[in-house]
Amino acid sequence: MAGKIKLLIDNLVEQRAQGNPSLESTTRTKLLLKGIDGTKYTASSDDDPAVIEKIRQIAKDMGVHLTV
Amino acid sequence: MAIKVAQSSKPDPSAAAAEIASSFSGLKPVTVLFFASSQYDPASISRMMKEKFAEATVIGCSTAGELVSGGMLKNSVVAMALESDTISGIAADVIDLGDRKAPSRAVIGLAEKFGSKPLDLNPELYVGIILIDGLSCAEEWLMEKIGDLVDIPVIGGSAGDDLAFRKTSVYLDGKVYENSAVLALLKPAFGFELVKTQSFCGTGKKLVPTAVDEATRKVIEFNGLPAVTAYAEAVGAKESDIVSHFMSNPVGLIAEGEPFVRSPQRVDGSSIYFYCQIRKGVDLEVLSSTDIIADTTAAIQKLQRDDHPIKGIINFNCILRTLQLYQEGKNEAYGNIFKDIPTVGFSTYGEEYIGHINQTATMLVFF
Repeated sequence: MAGKIKLLIDNLVEQRAQGNPSLESTTRTKLLLKGIDGTKYTASSDDDPAVIEKIRQIAKDMGVHLTV
Repeated sequence: MAIKVAQSSKPDPSAAAAEIASSFSGLKPVTVLFFASSQYDPASISRMMKEKFAEATVIGCSTAGELVSGGMLKNSVVAMALESDTISGIAADVIDLGDRKAPSRAVIGLAEKFGSKPLDLNPELYVGIILIDGLSCAEEWLMEKIGDLVDIPVIGGSAGDDLAFRKTSVYLDGKVYENSAVLALLKPAFGFELVKTQSFCGTGKKLVPTAVDEATRKVIEFNGLPAVTAYAEAVGAKESDIVSHFMSNPVGLIAEGEPFVRSPQRVDGSSIYFYCQIRKGVDLEVLSSTDIIADTTAAIQKLQRDDHPIKGIINFNCILRTLQLYQEGKNEAYGNIFKDIPTVGFSTYGEEYIGHINQTATMLVFF
């Protein structure tokens, strides 16, 4: 499998920002400050379980319900 | 009514508060924000300021230097009075940094005072100001937690103590708090913007933290090499000389094209301590310093328009920038950038803008 991390990041940003470009930017910055660099992941990036778990935890902390 | 600022260099807290109150005579502020040199006894200055402005929410902290329109000061108190035509609402609370659940309680409570849940606060209508104990090393987790709870911008600085690094204080309504933060939620009556300005450009040299101790802000390895070795190579210096490069070559976490500066503090064996938490595996870029005066002037000019004049600025300016300005003889020039704009601020032990950063000026600008 591949590409799950990018899907999760994009979904988290989409759910939190609700289409607001400024909030999208802020949310991506918040993720980076938490150690998740969205620019590093593509549709073919390996599914690193530790990173996936970290993103799920971040989503929980941010009150975001991931839909992927 | 215009935003008013005031200053006092009287060493006695009662006399300093009286001088500031005299400058604000006739005003009915809903908020008084003050920044006081650590030479003032914390309990006294906080109590005196609240006595003078009993009807206002009075917020402040200790500093490593003060800023006011036209000047960079030492051993002084500076204050800004915000009336109801500038701030239509304010709520403030203290967060005990020893309690990881305290930020959530504070944020929920503050939002409730505006009849809202935290995530429903409109980022275009509300802004947070945060003043944090500058010796707490808690800024990162606190800003992360607040950022989890709200989407409104939160800006601020870490309290200082004139480079003694012994005790910093934050103030709310006449009381003093240590190992704490004061968080204020403001509803400006008109527009506002946030400014984050740091005078650096990227060098293209990457340092990837491959071994870190996040809690102590220590980097053990960059790029798989001892931190000192990798940093020395990146800045083109001998390992024994790297400390002389720290001020001019910090590293930046590049987020959406913007550097979030992390400043090296000291060497410990082959490791480097920073003034900011460094995350393992997140790319950093070595930065090179540019002109603080030119960059800050440009940042302010970009916002100032005839039909949209700036009414006031709160400036959280890193102590490292202050030291650099004094070393270069540019402290007066920096004060002059703000001489025609009601401005207060202080030299901080760190700045807050989404997260904790260094060698930056973060500003709340009122229109």
